[in-house]
Amino acid sequence: MSAAPDISRAPAASAPSAALLVRRLPVPKSRRRMARNSFTATAVAILVVLHVIAFNSTGFEPALLVDGAQGMGRFLAESFPPDLDWEKVLKPSLEATLVTLWIGLLGTTLSIPTALLFAAFASETTTPHPLVYQAARAILSFFRAVPDVVFALIFVTAVGLGPFAGVLALICHNTGVMGKLWAEAMEESDQGPVQALSSAGASKLQQTFHASIPLVIPQFVGLLLYRFDVNVRSSLVLGLVGAGGVGLLINQAIKSFQFDQMLTHIIVVLILIVVVDQASALIRRRLAA
Amino acid sequence: MTAVEVTGLSKAYDGTKVLEGVSFTVRPGELLAFLGANGSGKSTTLKCVIGLTKPDSGSIRLHGTEVCQLQGAAQVKARSQAAMVFQKIHLVPRRTALDNVCSGGLMRVQGLASTSPAFFPKNLKEEAMACLDRVGLAGSALERAGKLSGGQQQRVAIARALCQRASVLLADEPVSALDPHAAEQVMALLAELAHTENLAVAAVLHQPDLAIRHADRAIGLLKGRIVFDGGTPALTDQVLDTLYAPDRIAA
Repeated sequence: MSAAPDISRAPAASAPSAALLVRRLPVPKSRRRMARNSFTATAVAILVVLHVIAFNSTGFEPALLVDGAQGMGRFLAESFPPDLDWEKVLKPSLEATLVTLWIGLLGTTLSIPTALLFAAFASETTTPHPLVYQAARAILSFFRAVPDVVFALIFVTAVGLGPFAGVLALICHNTGVMGKLWAEAMEESDQGPVQALSSAGASKLQQTFHASIPLVIPQFVGLLLYRFDVNVRSSLVLGLVGAGGVGLLINQAIKSFQFDQMLTHIIVVLILIVVVDQASALIRRRLAA
Repeated sequence: MTAVEVTGLSKAYDGTKVLEGVSFTVRPGELLAFLGANGSGKSTTLKCVIGLTKPDSGSIRLHGTEVCQLQGAAQVKARSQAAMVFQKIHLVPRRTALDNVCSGGLMRVQGLASTSPAFFPKNLKEEAMACLDRVGLAGSALERAGKLSGGQQQRVAIARALCQRASVLLADEPVSALDPHAAEQVMALLAELAHTENLAVAAVLHQPDLAIRHADRAIGLLKGRIVFDGGTPALTDQVLDTLYAPDRIAA
């Protein structure tokens, strides 16, 4: 009978007899893995079929892109160099970009109260009643499902063209998204402190304010900054439907074939987005520390 | 009068009996240790008393009041005579030690004034300070709970239980997550609170030696039944073998 392999006695690799002490045992066959492999193969096959259908349905044709590259080249050539005329282009662009930023800012902060309320109702741990939970979930889904551009079109009919409609649109859509993200953050957090307060006789409302919410403040702020980032970019698109901001200028520049002006606007927007991104990254780092 | 009187407590999870006819009492001024192997029903017993688990049958009296039959606010009020200290401590790490202790007294604060530590009444904060002082941590009142050491955090949790004005302290493995020195400190504190503040303290412990050093009395559970109830000096090696290795004894 052979002794069990003893690693403490295994000689250094340089010793010529080392190979003699190396023992091997056959690896048991895993039925589970075979079943999993066939599952993976099926999944891959289905995905391939779906992609073929998708290619056909979207008219995906690389040759078209090659043939049309000239047109694209002409378009880009016309936009270079960007028109940096201060009075006519750059100044209006900066002003409108600031409006875009303000739309994004108000759209984010003004949705905090509504998002918080719905998050508390739509989180299993803080909801006052299962029916309230279901209703809040449904309302949040609705606000999430309707794109902010559609909200903007609706509000434009009510309050007219301009940034105000954009702010209202963002508040609605962002309530839906942030409410859901916050509700999930609360559900995923450690329920221990909530249980501790519950056993101490604290009411549901008190448990929410003194355990559920303070436990997830870092996640809340992180998600809020992320949504601010997204909202600034969305408010750009809102300009296209007349809800104010630099999107409107981009739209006008394209429609009047002044592509060099369009490029200026896009560069200004790019700078804004980089600045917003950096600022939120900085705040998040500070928060984590 | 006894602080906790449990009679005929039974509980089954999915047909598996966890507790079978468990009866015991805890008197004010004593530290009672629950001992037993994993799955013997120690924690379930405490959770039934505090109300985190609903027993299938049996009666639980806190200072003579039967709590299982009560409903709603009356039950919350009766149950709040007992406070729980958890193995995982369960403080809110971003709040200060003081705010965490204050949250133990939330039952006495009503309405919107109780939604933020900024609105806590002065007398609640002063009471919480006294509770922190009682566990020796008045100096760390304004530090974030998450920044404190494990032993300090557990003492803050005990202060939170004191701020609840509980006369019964139930501790579910209060020192399992702590190093030996901190464990010793916390157990000494629990014993001191029992003896000087006349609290009824029941603690689930995993180390019999801690029970022997600090507790006045011990209850040994084996597969959901009480097999030992007596003073800690009576915890002989033979008793402990019965509790932790019953199969070896039988063999």
